[in-house]
Amino acid sequence: MNFKVRAARKEDCKEISRMIMELAVYEKMADQVKTSHEELERDGFSPNPFYECLIAEVPDEHKTKDGYTVVGYALYFYTYSTWKGRSVYMEDLYVMPDFRGKGIGKGLMAKVAQVGVEKQCVRLQLSVLEWNKPSLDFYIAKGAEDLTAKEGWHFLRFDGQTLDTLAKEAPKD
Amino acid sequence: MDRFKLRKAEPKDVPDILRLIKELAKYEDMEDQVILTEKDLLEDGFGDHPFYHCIVAEVPSDKQSNNGPVVIGFAMYYFTYDPWIGKLLYLEDFFVMGEYRGFGIGSEILKLLSHTAVKTRCSSMHFIVAEGNQASIEFYKRRGAADLSLEEGWRLFKIDKSSLLKMSSGPEE
Repeated sequence: MNFKVRAARKEDCKEISRMIMELAVYEKMADQVKTSHEELERDGFSPNPFYECLIAEVPDEHKTKDGYTVVGYALYFYTYSTWKGRSVYMEDLYVMPDFRGKGIGKGLMAKVAQVGVEKQCVRLQLSVLEWNKPSLDFYIAKGAEDLTAKEGWHFLRFDGQTLDTLAKEAPKD
Repeated sequence: MDRFKLRKAEPKDVPDILRLIKELAKYEDMEDQVILTEKDLLEDGFGDHPFYHCIVAEVPSDKQSNNGPVVIGFAMYYFTYDPWIGKLLYLEDFFVMGEYRGFGIGSEILKLLSHTAVKTRCSSMHFIVAEGNQASIEFYKRRGAADLSLEEGWRLFKIDKSSLLKMSSGPEE
């Protein structure tokens, strides 16, 4: 199947928002999605964007039963390692179920890798849920190493009330 | 230790930041992995599109012993993006020199970071900790941090440059 990977444009945000929700449903966390396509537009297409996005498109004759030609996306941003410098973090990679097995996921990820290399990034990082075997297999086949298993890294988070509580006690400017 | 000051890092702090990065790496038994140079830090943190932001903790010079450094702690952070909730503040490195611990400096840095997160419209502050680093895990959990690796099963993966090059130079789809 013919497909094209290109940089997302502001007008693609409605499609990206649709697929973000589809991915959240797959990860069994749909109730956690709070962003709208308006926020994606504001945060990704301003002079100082907080993420970059690539989308995969198929020609009209292969569009989905609901009429979509945008069938996948990869959302990523740049991070920084105090040991090695610039890195790229791939936050989301998603291809609609009917379009899997055709190299689209690989194509999206290869393009993220290419962008990262061009920006002199030394590595790409991502995180996967431990039960998500198809994704674990996909990434490991491309050379990914599980740092949680190998080096014991855990993700921690402060949010909502705990973040507000800490923030209120900050020293005055 | 009642007199310490927290402030935004400036280009002149780069040598101290690198020194503290190496001290933190030594604490994590990974000193030989720091390949970043002062030139990288300067270019990546103080150019047009910084890859990171930094807060430093300093003590007045008359509190030093043996004319030691004035900058005695730092925190490096940047902004990331969660497609479900939007902007996040990601804490990359956080370190206070051994002899200056136990005085609340780390605690104040964390509060300032939380305040920065709330001020810049971030829903959450994320970071990683090695599971062997019990002192740090306790420090964060006491303040309300949730361990997403344990609670939700997230595992961190990395893909190194050689694998990125292989991926990005694959045949065009």
